[in-house]
Amino acid sequence: MTSFQSTIGDEEGIAEELAEGQREISIAEFFEKNKHMLGFDSGARGLVTAVKEAVDNALDATEEAGILPDIYVEITEVGDYYRLVIEDNGPGITKEQLPKVFGKLLYGSRFHAREQSRGQQGIGISAAVLYSQLTSGQPAKITSRPKGQSRAQYFELIIDTDTNEPEISADEETTWDRPHGTRIELEMEANMRARQQLHDYVKHTAVVNPHARLELREPGLDEPLKFERATDELPAETEEIRPHPHGVELGTLIKMLEATESYSVSGFLQEEFTRVGKKTADGVIDNFRDVYYGRELSWSPPRAHDDGDVASAVSEAVANKGAEATTAFAEGVAETVENDDRVTRSELAAIVDDVAETVEGDTGKTFGGTVRENAVDAGWRAITGRGDADDEEADSGDGPDESPLVPDVYALVDEATSTRKDDAAVQSMAEALARRFENLDGDAFRVTRDDLERLVADAASFVAEQRDATFGETARENVVEAFWSRARTVPDDPPKVKSIAGDRDAAADLLEAMRTTDILAPPTDCLAPITAELVEAGLRKEYDADFYAAATRDAEVHGGDPFIVEAGIAYGGEIPAEGSVELLRFANRVPLVYQRGACATTDVIKQIGWRNYGLDQPGGSGMPNGPAVISIHVASTNVPFTSESKDALANVPEIEDEIELAVREAARELKSYLNKRRSMQQRREKQDVLGRILPEMADKVSEVTGRPRPDIDGALARIMNNVSVEREVNGETVSLVVENHSDVNEQLDITDIVSAEPTDLSDGTVVDMDGEWFVQWKPEIPSGDERELTYAVDGDPEFEVSVGGVETEKLTVND
Amino acid sequence: MTTESDARDELIDLAADFYDQFAAGSIPEMTLPTRTKSNIEYDEESGVWTYGDRTSTRSANSVRGARKLLKAAYTIEFLANQLDDDRSSTLRELYYLSESWNNDEAQFNSQDESNDLVEDLEIVTGVTREDFHMRPEESGAKVMGPLELREQTNRGDREIHCQLDVGQGGYQIPNNPDTIEFLDNDAEFVLCVETGGMRDRLVENGFDEEHDALVVHLGGQPARATRRLTKRFRDELDLPVVVFTDGDPWSYRIYGSVAYGSIKSAHLSKYLATPEARFIGIQPEDIVEYDLPSDPLSDSDVNALESELEDPRFQTDYWEEQIELQLDIGKKSEQQSLASRGLDFVTDTYLPERLGEMGVI
Repeated sequence: MTSFQSTIGDEEGIAEELAEGQREISIAEFFEKNKHMLGFDSGARGLVTAVKEAVDNALDATEEAGILPDIYVEITEVGDYYRLVIEDNGPGITKEQLPKVFGKLLYGSRFHAREQSRGQQGIGISAAVLYSQLTSGQPAKITSRPKGQSRAQYFELIIDTDTNEPEISADEETTWDRPHGTRIELEMEANMRARQQLHDYVKHTAVVNPHARLELREPGLDEPLKFERATDELPAETEEIRPHPHGVELGTLIKMLEATESYSVSGFLQEEFTRVGKKTADGVIDNFRDVYYGRELSWSPPRAHDDGDVASAVSEAVANKGAEATTAFAEGVAETVENDDRVTRSELAAIVDDVAETVEGDTGKTFGGTVRENAVDAGWRAITGRGDADDEEADSGDGPDESPLVPDVYALVDEATSTRKDDAAVQSMAEALARRFENLDGDAFRVTRDDLERLVADAASFVAEQRDATFGETARENVVEAFWSRARTVPDDPPKVKSIAGDRDAAADLLEAMRTTDILAPPTDCLAPITAELVEAGLRKEYDADFYAAATRDAEVHGGDPFIVEAGIAYGGEIPAEGSVELLRFANRVPLVYQRGACATTDVIKQIGWRNYGLDQPGGSGMPNGPAVISIHVASTNVPFTSESKDALANVPEIEDEIELAVREAARELKSYLNKRRSMQQRREKQDVLGRILPEMADKVSEVTGRPRPDIDGALARIMNNVSVEREVNGETVSLVVENHSDVNEQLDITDIVSAEPTDLSDGTVVDMDGEWFVQWKPEIPSGDERELTYAVDGDPEFEVSVGGVETEKLTVND
Repeated sequence: MTTESDARDELIDLAADFYDQFAAGSIPEMTLPTRTKSNIEYDEESGVWTYGDRTSTRSANSVRGARKLLKAAYTIEFLANQLDDDRSSTLRELYYLSESWNNDEAQFNSQDESNDLVEDLEIVTGVTREDFHMRPEESGAKVMGPLELREQTNRGDREIHCQLDVGQGGYQIPNNPDTIEFLDNDAEFVLCVETGGMRDRLVENGFDEEHDALVVHLGGQPARATRRLTKRFRDELDLPVVVFTDGDPWSYRIYGSVAYGSIKSAHLSKYLATPEARFIGIQPEDIVEYDLPSDPLSDSDVNALESELEDPRFQTDYWEEQIELQLDIGKKSEQQSLASRGLDFVTDTYLPERLGEMGVI
């Protein structure tokens, strides 16, 4: 068979030929071909995106400078093109920076900062410039006047798509009436088919930026669209933060390891991450040792005068130190070891060092490194039967000699498994495990938890085969835990940062250690939530509704980036009742107007059961219907979008959960409002019906009994659980009888307007207002009680009573 | 019982109660005994079952309650006028008549509603609907036997002998049997018969003549007039009363309403029920004894029997024994099943035997 490979191989020089066609692509060139990725896929959309990028920049710039934003957007038709002008009152841009900001893609101050801001990649505005030059051939015309300078700088520039560098065609000083700010003028091929999205964008920007003043002029508007400020309070200033250990990925970690100036892991962790101090760094390093080196299994030392006596083993291992010193040394080591229930090789080494130094001090003899090592080896052999005594091992052969580890292992396995395990099974498990421990590399029985789990599982399946005794998952876990909890973290120093950076596995171990260590959530001063009050104020400003609610969640973390979700709901009033509710989506205070269907916020709204909250939802899922506006704001140092054009939030579970909680929090308020409204409506209906029926019934009974029509107001008020206010005029005495038939105490505010001067008030106050007298009472009337408010007045005056402090539905006034 | 002018006064008094409640600033309401099986009690004195102490209140506090009371007020007016004019009307006419009232809210939605309201008014005023001049739609049943009576009709008083002056069908009981005056009788006992077929059999066989029996046709669940007349036979003529029905749980209820009163009209038990009435058959025991042709009990029959065991009206040794026997044999038989022994078996053998056992003849 002729392979394809060989055919190619025959054609000499093809790789070279191909290589000739291969060259670097400039970033500007790339985006020129991929405009849609940045939201410039059509003339209609391009215009909206350009406005959005310029306005986002203007808002970021003004806020950063602590200036209340005042932004002007104008779109005019110029022949076949549209001219877009955006002006702000920001701090201006220096002459040096300006060409780069507008004339170079991926140039920006925020990409590397973990801080909440609207723009992030430094693509947006320069992409607009690029789009404008590509479609109209015109340069961008930019004027900027930095604060404090008397004159402004005027530039005309285009982007050289080959080099991604600005090409300046005009650079001159000019005058500008704004004291500071930036103005950009772009001409582009466009159309106004996306007028609705443009208006939505501007309107929604006003909703989430109640501190901004916005003005939009475009050819389709007779009057400019103006959005005034609802607050003079700027959003809280944000602080830049370092990444959080729980949020970095392996590639990022390796890059950080390569870039850091720190030498030790501890220093690296404390320098480069937020929320890591010495203690947390130590915690991470301990966890790192456990995964990188494994732990050392610990063993119980033999009791004195047991067969393998530590003291005699150590004293045998020491030569030429004199009997006194040797004994002191050997006994010192043995005693210390016996004081511990269990000991690891590293601990033994530490004990030997410790005792050696003491004995050196006492006797003047020197216990050098070799002696100490020999002593450790001998002692360890005495404890575990393990060491480089090759001859002994050869002697034992494959005889029935059991490993000296077995009794120790047996004790732990027996303790860890249920009492129902029969003794033989436990014994053979202990033997199988001990054999596997013996086979571990080195003398110290170092094992990682993963390996330990593997060994135990392996031993369990061996026992299952041989003995027909099962060690189930729980039993195995208990055994692993018994050994792991008694194993000790090794004292070895962690590798240096440089070597971890060069060792992918070590870096992965470090990442695992970072993730398993408990670390405080990242600080949230890098975020500027709108706050519940201002979310509500924003909705109030732009939507004339009957009810508003808002909720701000506490900060949470995803991928090391803190985020905060806020939700608001407006209901009723002028909001159209037909069709589904309006969903306003915001990320870092930027309205998202495209790709609603692809957005995580939409998914969350759709899966909430809105019928529970009093909204109509056909089929019990999907977008709810009714006169409501739901607004959702996600603020984060790194908002996860589905694409570079930043139209839709990606489905990140942590963020979706918070969105749901925030929306439900606001929706609960909506529900109680709707319930109350419904019960008020029922009350009104009841009032209507009873207000019709009862007088008719009274008429009928008076007809049948031949008596005059009875007064039924008392009965009516009582039925409605009402507060009734009834006027009785008796000669000169006027009294208002207030009866509270409701089941709660009522705090009323009663004003009687009289056309003659009242005297002798029972209580309350009277104010003369141009020949009309306002008599005011503020009685508190307990449930089921009544109060008589009286005064005297001459002649035949006119009265008009008004009652506040109680819902009109609950009030019956008989004036 | 009440007279007609009393009836009118009682109605006006009820309206005046509503009036006074309004005037006192309180919510008009009407309290009635709760009309359920669990709220009927045995009245030792009269031997019938009447409503117990539990009450329910119709109050104008709710839209439903207010509508009921409004309808009550309109109905009171209508009844009072009807009594003034000495006219009468049927329950169904009342229902249709409400359409002519000038108030939509006062109109009845169904005839059950107007029937219930009239019963409510009976209970609250203590006046029977006959005294309100309200008639039921269904006519009373028929009587055949040696009795002479005088009935007040719209066309003057008529004297009628219930054997000699009537056709094969017998004497038609008027809606208000209190308009009847008994003149003379040779009767020995009263035999109430459930089905028309059996009544015709007895008449054809001359049972009434042979045994001087007043044969009363119940026609299923007996109308008030039939029950009232039966009670008067017992009370005024001092005649023993026996009830002859099919041998199934539904028929025992027919006996129950004759003897003890019905749950819906327990307020009138003292006026309608004949506690001395005794059950002649078909007894479950007879099904066994006479080996009558039978049908198996259906599920609803069994349920009905079990519910009767819990019905306070049937908690007597006799009924418990019979019902348990029937549940045991799982069979029911109709009156006509006696025909399996010949057409004359019922008049020649079964009834005389049973009446003899019961000491009636």
